[in-house]
Amino acid sequence: MPPYMLRPVAPEGDRLKPGRDGKTVFEAQCGYCHLVGGMGTNLLTKQQMMAGNPPAKGLLSNRDDLTADYVKAVVRMGKGAMPQQTKVDLTDAELDAVAAYLGKAG
Amino acid sequence: MKLHLPPRVSPKQFQSAMTAFAGVVGKEWLMDTDADRDAYADTYAPGSTEEWPASAAVAPASVDEVRAIVRLANEHKVPLWPVARGKNLGYGTAAPRMEGTVVMDLGRMNKVLELDHKLAYCVVEPGVGFFDLYDQIQREKAPLWLSVPGNAWGSVLGNALEHGIGYTSYGLHARNLCGIEAVLPDGDLVRTGMGAMAGNPAFHLFPMSYGPTWDLAFSQSNLGIVTRAGVWLQPAPETSLEIVWDIPKVEDIGWVIDTITPLKISGLIDQNVFIPSWLGKMVLKGQRKDFWDKPSAIPDWRVDELLKEHKLGYWQVALRLYGEEPVVKARAEVVKAAMKRNLDAAPQEHWWRQGDPIGQYETTMGVPSAVPLQMSDWIGGRGAHMGFSPVVPATGKHVLDQMALSRKIIADFDVDFYASFTIGGRFANNVNMLMYDRDNADEVAKMRKLFDALIVQTAKAGYAEYRTHLGWMDPVMETFDFNNHALRRFDEKVKSALDPNGIIAPGKQGVWPAAYADKRGSAYKGGN
Repeated sequence: MPPYMLRPVAPEGDRLKPGRDGKTVFEAQCGYCHLVGGMGTNLLTKQQMMAGNPPAKGLLSNRDDLTADYVKAVVRMGKGAMPQQTKVDLTDAELDAVAAYLGKAG
Repeated sequence: MKLHLPPRVSPKQFQSAMTAFAGVVGKEWLMDTDADRDAYADTYAPGSTEEWPASAAVAPASVDEVRAIVRLANEHKVPLWPVARGKNLGYGTAAPRMEGTVVMDLGRMNKVLELDHKLAYCVVEPGVGFFDLYDQIQREKAPLWLSVPGNAWGSVLGNALEHGIGYTSYGLHARNLCGIEAVLPDGDLVRTGMGAMAGNPAFHLFPMSYGPTWDLAFSQSNLGIVTRAGVWLQPAPETSLEIVWDIPKVEDIGWVIDTITPLKISGLIDQNVFIPSWLGKMVLKGQRKDFWDKPSAIPDWRVDELLKEHKLGYWQVALRLYGEEPVVKARAEVVKAAMKRNLDAAPQEHWWRQGDPIGQYETTMGVPSAVPLQMSDWIGGRGAHMGFSPVVPATGKHVLDQMALSRKIIADFDVDFYASFTIGGRFANNVNMLMYDRDNADEVAKMRKLFDALIVQTAKAGYAEYRTHLGWMDPVMETFDFNNHALRRFDEKVKSALDPNGIIAPGKQGVWPAAYADKRGSAYKGGN
């Protein structure tokens, strides 16, 4: 079964407190679309390949050019086919953790 | 988005309502900044999101919090727009019908309360998404399958309550609801069916109440806020067989419907049979400009070329049977023989047996996916879609008549024709998908006019929509005209009696409480 079909359980504890587990939150809350075979991964793989990058860069967790601020902006504002996410989808504390996890470019 | 107050609510009154709501849920779960309002806007809005502006959102975590907010909303005269997960994409997302309504986001109420392996049902809160329930079933290794809509990002209850459809034997999702708990407009709490007796174990098993049965009165409705419900699930079958026919020509849909419907009505086919046109496959292969680089509708000659190039029929029937292998085999022979009377080409057959892996895009096996949202990329830019979705009797004649009508209207507007029919029994749901770039103002304006024309002309032909976007809830309700709109008059009599302040979802589906009757037919036009 591809991993996006069985996402991890979201981390226990207060969703509003800082210090959430960014990887697990990402996989649980963004995994609908951004794990292997998801809608976001499919579209981003196509875009990355058109830009001359390897298809593996379609997975956000393989990207090294994302900044934390960019991740936050896309999550809250949406981009292309991706709708904006509310604070119930992802709290600010969870978004901070996800942005730190994905934002390898700082 | 700037603040739009609810009608007749002063800034001071609104602020005190927000303070009161925050007192119930905590200030973090009361969201009333400009950015918060944007987050609850219609992500596919055909035009400005400020036509359907929420003033704020509030996210309760329990039934008690829902009840407390409803009582406070009455006190402060601030209306609420309940959403389950707020992913009603193509129909308004989480945005409210009336300006200034506060979105009540039930996404935090996301517990799977029961998952009964033997009697094949679950009890869920509104925030449980199809993916969440699917994961829970896998974790428990429950021998159960879901029925999922094309885009399964949303809520199980929200989709069923909005009359969503899926493509398995349990595809008429509202019919799977059994036993509802709802908060009424005065803050009271009711349970339907056997659940009206405290502790009754048949709450989610027997589909009727003692006396009037209200379950579906809470669907596409503003009579209450559903806080939990039972949902019947399909027992995982021993085997399943998918039989796939490519249907060559557009007009073939007539005999396809006349072949499949009797088998569906007799029970030989138990699945909701989804018949998409070729464009449903093409949108996953690339962007429109890769296949037709002009803004005008793709002409028929180019469609013919594309079908040949990509080895597609105009339609595809991917029918699925479920059950014990000898039974499935016998059923398949009947179906194949019936189809062969009009189509010589042998279908493809794909068997699945218990223990085999299930592909990640197997919607007809209840696997949730958001991949159909890739459709948004077809047009490019900030791609969006709306579905024009009339219901027609499931006969070849009705389907061909309806298709000819909508196809001509859509062609007159020089827009691509992308239709599907889903045979749900004695009826078919016809969805005409209209795709557009939200940032192309001319295209958006054209789509709005096209949508108006589709509603009016389809109603003249005697057919109506089963579901629609916020902007057309009033016009579609207007088409239900028997005895001087008797259904709407009844709906509104009940609504106004139960909800004198019009607190819950005013205008939902064109049903207006007396308190906001003057808002009928209006959509906010930027302050003019």
